Amino acid sequence: MRIELQQELDRLEADVQELGALVLRALRGAIRALVDQDVELADEVIAFDDEVDRRYQAIEKGVELALARQTPVATDLRLVLAILHDNIHLERIGDQCVTIAKLTKLTSHLEQRDVLIDGFEEMGARAEEMIRIALDSFADRDVARAESLAELDELIDRTNRRVTQHVLALAGDPGAQEWGMRMIVVSRCLERIGDNAVDIGEQTHYVVTGDFREFTDASHPEGREL
Amino acid sequence: MATSESGTKVDELTRVHVGASRTGAGQQLTATGKAIEVSDLNLYYGSFLAVQDVSMTIQANKVTAFIGSSGCGKSTVLRSLNRMHELVPGARVEGTVTLDGTDIYAADVDPVSIRRHIGMVFQAPNPFPTMSIYDNVIAGVKLNGKRMPKRELDDLVEHSLRGAGLWDEVKDRLGKPGAGISGGQQQRLCIARAIAVSPDVLLMDEPCSALDPISTSAIEDLIAELKTQYTIVIVTHNMQQAARVSDMTAFFNIVETGKPGHLVEYDLTEKIFTQPADKRTEDYVTGRFG
Repeated sequence: MRIELQQELDRLEADVQELGALVLRALRGAIRALVDQDVELADEVIAFDDEVDRRYQAIEKGVELALARQTPVATDLRLVLAILHDNIHLERIGDQCVTIAKLTKLTSHLEQRDVLIDGFEEMGARAEEMIRIALDSFADRDVARAESLAELDELIDRTNRRVTQHVLALAGDPGAQEWGMRMIVVSRCLERIGDNAVDIGEQTHYVVTGDFREFTDASHPEGREL
Repeated sequence: MATSESGTKVDELTRVHVGASRTGAGQQLTATGKAIEVSDLNLYYGSFLAVQDVSMTIQANKVTAFIGSSGCGKSTVLRSLNRMHELVPGARVEGTVTLDGTDIYAADVDPVSIRRHIGMVFQAPNPFPTMSIYDNVIAGVKLNGKRMPKRELDDLVEHSLRGAGLWDEVKDRLGKPGAGISGGQQQRLCIARAIAVSPDVLLMDEPCSALDPISTSAIEDLIAELKTQYTIVIVTHNMQQAARVSDMTAFFNIVETGKPGHLVEYDLTEKIFTQPADKRTEDYVTGRFG
């Protein structure tokens, strides 16, 4: 029953997973380019975002058509809405990777500080893991695994705070100031990628339970139902 | 947008001047619809139990939609709400149905009087074809034996046709036959006829299934207006229509052909179409039934 709708939902879900795979490639490329100060690779990451955007727009169009033609309700409706949100979150992760690549180009002539670069490799690996968990738990409708993203995000946040401390410590080193300021933005980009992965996890919770809940909420640290 | 007087900085930053509230002004329609309480209802055709054990409260001045596949008993339940079920030879009813606390199946209650309080609009528009539009509207009033001066009848016809959203379209041809207008207009004429007797409840059995999309839209708009004055129960096969027009939705189902229909889930329409509690409801509204 509702074969057409089911096919459209399956297709959209597969498209989201494919977009996720593209975004993971962008993230790996952005971190590699940053660590190696590889301008050529940074350019590739920037250009690669066109492909991410194309996929994003195709999913957006698919959601629009599914809503207009199939009028999904209940679980189907929640899935379509979650796909719409996940699509945006993944596209934004792609944008963060572009920002990192641009900053890599801007700082390619500046001397790096190993302590920060090590931190970015760590944050990149954690962000990658979080995106994988977000995508897998969405595919498996695994709420418990989706909820685990909140704890992983705290680890990225902690590294982000540590990066800020390291940059502040560079204040007495005039040659490192520009690089340090740019790197704070890189750190912020990686921290936001973690947030986007958590957002995807929250959509999984919504699809399964029907309730939208922020896993972490600065104004309500104890958590709340919206 | 936050406009509270609590005086937080966020409030200050976002404060905008808001004029008179839209809901505070304008006409106030008096609610006159009444609630129906259904308890332990069993409906039979001869020895065949068609609907089993239905209990529900149909709220006053709300639109309640009955949905479910063919043969699930939704129309049978609808017809039991104004004692039309018993018009079928051999049909009988167990349990109670009360209108505003009055048992409509009590021995001393006249079924005709019940049908004046609980009107019905059918699937196919059924105006009296040779009767004029005017006479169609007052047909129910005349059947009830009510004698009224011409001036009052004129007022009643205009009031009813306005209530059914038809007045402007037919006011210049009230003497023309009821069958001479479009299907959508005929259905609204039937609604005018139903509301002319000032019922408390309007039962609608698939009122749009024979209508084109524009006429359907007109009837749906009308339902939204009518609920301020009447309690409305609508049977529809069109689930999107149920989602659009109703406040409450009841899902009926049968386990298999030959078994009695029963009420599976009854809740706010937004709940039924977003988070139904029962898997069978979910399967039906998402179209994965059967």
